[in-house]
Amino acid sequence: MGKKIGFLFFGIIFGFTLSRVGASDYDLITRMFGGKDFKIALVILTAIIVGAIGMHFIKKLKNPMKNGEKLKISCKELKRFSLLGAAIFGIGWGMSGACPGTVLAQIGEGKLYGLITFLGMLSGTYIYALLKEKHSEL
Amino acid sequence: MFENIVQCIFVNPWPFWTGGIIIGMLVPMLYYLFNTALGVSTGYGNFVKFIFPSAKLKWIKSKFPETLSWRVFFIVGIILGAFLSAVLSGNFKFTLEMGYFTKIMEWPVLGTSIYFFSSGILLGLGARIAGGCTSGHSIHGIANLHFSSIIVTILFLIGGIISTNLVRFIVMGGAW
Repeated sequence: MGKKIGFLFFGIIFGFTLSRVGASDYDLITRMFGGKDFKIALVILTAIIVGAIGMHFIKKLKNPMKNGEKLKISCKELKRFSLLGAAIFGIGWGMSGACPGTVLAQIGEGKLYGLITFLGMLSGTYIYALLKEKHSEL
Repeated sequence: MFENIVQCIFVNPWPFWTGGIIIGMLVPMLYYLFNTALGVSTGYGNFVKFIFPSAKLKWIKSKFPETLSWRVFFIVGIILGAFLSAVLSGNFKFTLEMGYFTKIMEWPVLGTSIYFFSSGILLGLGARIAGGCTSGHSIHGIANLHFSSIIVTILFLIGGIISTNLVRFIVMGGAW
């Protein structure tokens, strides 16, 4: 399976799941942050546990990758401003009730303000590129 | 019986564990098939490159050499998947509703758009500075027990708790 077609396929599975479980619902996300409903927190927690178990087995396989490559796990290092970035992200998450994955699910469901949030995210990414031009430490 | 199964998969909202198991399995599956980490927000850089293929900014030029990357396909796939979910459950409609935000706040479309656009800027910028988002850091990173992802996720949550409650109590005036 080509990587592009493969990711289109897994994207469809991911988007379908996000929508079915309610992760694209503004109310569910903000009620989690308000301490009123922890369904989405439980979705994330279950995903972490299942992902961790799966990775445990993948790492044990002798020749793990389908194409014979060596398993290369990407680890994101903490940089000087990572925590600041994370806090900025969190503020946006609580304001919009969406994150970069679930906003796409909102768009697929026809939520027009999701499209606006998405355009904002593209702009935020572009602003990062502008900042990065002068500040390589970001 | 058959109708019941169809109802449970395509119409009723899923319980948390169904969604959690499928999303969680994506992490080892994407490594197994493509040796690639689950993550969405990096794809926004690819999408910017896709829209402005001739962008001169160093970061875009060096980090995203390809105009139509697999990450763009992933983004399009997520939109399609949610579209399928909404159509099959009979809930698809173009709407200006956004949960209780638009129920409580009777702002004009422009004002609401500015609000969501600004929050989008924070998400896009914050994800790049933090090095990932909910999928890349919180799910993929913690599933691999990366310390950096645990710390970043705690900050995601603190930011979310602060902004949600500020919006709730200052802008919307209280009660849930």
